[in-house]
Amino acid sequence: MNLRNSPVKWALLLPGLVVMFGITITPISQAVVMSFRRWKLTESPEPAGWVGFENYVRAINDENFWNSIWVTTSYSVVTAAISLALGLWIAVSLTHSGPWGNFLKATLVLPFAIPLVLRGYSYRFMLLEGDGVFDVLIDAVFPFLSEVVWLSDPSWALFWLAAPTFWAWGPLSGLMLLGALNNIPEEIFEAAELDGSRPFHTFRTITFPLLRPMVLVVSLLVVLFSVAMFDLVQTMTKGGPGRATETLNYFIFRIGFSQFDIGYSSALAVILTLGLGGLAYLYTRLLKV
Amino acid sequence: MKLKFEIKGTLRASRLVNLAVITAFVFFPIFWITLSSFKDEREVRNPSLIFDPQILSYQILFNEPYDFGRLLWNSLLVCVLVVIITVPLAAAAAYSMSRFRIPAKRFLLVLILGTQFLPPVVLVLPYFTIFRELGLLDTIFGLVLVNLTRTIPFSIWLLYGFIDSLPREIEESAMIDGAGEFGILRFITGPLAAPGLVTAGIFSFILAWNEFLYALILTSRDAKTSIVGLVAVVGERDVPWELMSAGGVLVMVPVILLSWAIRRYFAEGLTAGAIK
Repeated sequence: MNLRNSPVKWALLLPGLVVMFGITITPISQAVVMSFRRWKLTESPEPAGWVGFENYVRAINDENFWNSIWVTTSYSVVTAAISLALGLWIAVSLTHSGPWGNFLKATLVLPFAIPLVLRGYSYRFMLLEGDGVFDVLIDAVFPFLSEVVWLSDPSWALFWLAAPTFWAWGPLSGLMLLGALNNIPEEIFEAAELDGSRPFHTFRTITFPLLRPMVLVVSLLVVLFSVAMFDLVQTMTKGGPGRATETLNYFIFRIGFSQFDIGYSSALAVILTLGLGGLAYLYTRLLKV
Repeated sequence: MKLKFEIKGTLRASRLVNLAVITAFVFFPIFWITLSSFKDEREVRNPSLIFDPQILSYQILFNEPYDFGRLLWNSLLVCVLVVIITVPLAAAAAYSMSRFRIPAKRFLLVLILGTQFLPPVVLVLPYFTIFRELGLLDTIFGLVLVNLTRTIPFSIWLLYGFIDSLPREIEESAMIDGAGEFGILRFITGPLAAPGLVTAGIFSFILAWNEFLYALILTSRDAKTSIVGLVAVVGERDVPWELMSAGGVLVMVPVILLSWAIRRYFAEGLTAGAIK
């Protein structure tokens, strides 16, 4: 590959990088600095003394912190697993599917574009006990679930918190997998059919292994988005019932904006940044940048 | 032979069922919110398809105290400014990284991707204190600035993938014919990259339009966006679901139209270069 060399490259590259790093490194370094201080807005408007790693030690000993890590992890894993299962099903259903399928392919991006805030409210609305359309439909089909108040039950709340995410990521990963599926030569499937391979067997031994790189990329992307997700917790459960849906993201928000403990909140934010940085690095390894 | 036909028939029927279920899965929530926005406060709590449609909820939203017209205008203003700033900066940076020898390019790309995934909750607290010092709280300019922290890295990645896949041969022969760097950008690569630029612009618009936490914390009245307005409509208890639905339709229509416009590039844009 022939890469050119001319001073123009700096004039093109630097403005974007300077703005981007300027507006991200400034607040991050401030968060890092604040994480080493004691600063509660309830005690004083200005930061108090330096406390070294005290805020980090506090996190390690805080069971609510570990709870938020557990909630974030299970939320991301549930979301990614369901999204991928839906995506594979959609991708396989929409190959060679005629005009209806082609129209459907074009609409698979729509849920993802809808604001998370609205997705959260919509699902909360549809899950209202006795009034919500999902609640009524589910109770009609599964009478034994009619007693469940969806967002007040700890495990169901976590599942429904994932629903607006896999509503978007299921179709979208279906679209991404469809792209990968179309890159597999048709002859492979024809040969398999001639050899008498049944559809499920073909999927398990041929289709899925060939899709695996894309499946990995999409899973990690869903996990990255899920770990960074804030809006749904705020609009659907506010972390409840109890702390059953309090993700690390929401825990940081609560410590910072309802307990006004800036120091501790900053330390938690630094921990989240490091975690996401690790995941983003893994992602670039998968993309083979 | 007969057996084979039966299997094919079953397959076709199951395929149709699959298509119907997928259609319902994608569209039902959109359909339900739109439907509910035309119900009144009593009917909205009754999951029925038969009701007396009216547009009262929309009228309420466009009047005081909700004032959705002004909120939508604020959102539009923020998004347009974000796009105008993001696209040229990101396009120039992406082009430079794709075509020139840049030291530590891989490291730089990883860093940009990492920046893209910085959660707002990490930055919002420092920004609150910085903006309080500079008097940028509740300003359109401040909101544009924080949105750039996500749109610029996202667009650089998207455009890097896009521009890198454009052929270089034309550029090289134009250079042999005596074209300068700016001539190449203006007449060759620029036009070829146009679909990518539009995609990056629309993605940035949608990201800024849907953004919630920054707008919640950093604005209060003057620069309040429609998403925060939706949250204000819902309130704390006794939620007016018919107003939420109408507000939802208002914030949803622009992003649905825009994402439809770039549907062909949407999935590729998100993974930016993963699908090659």
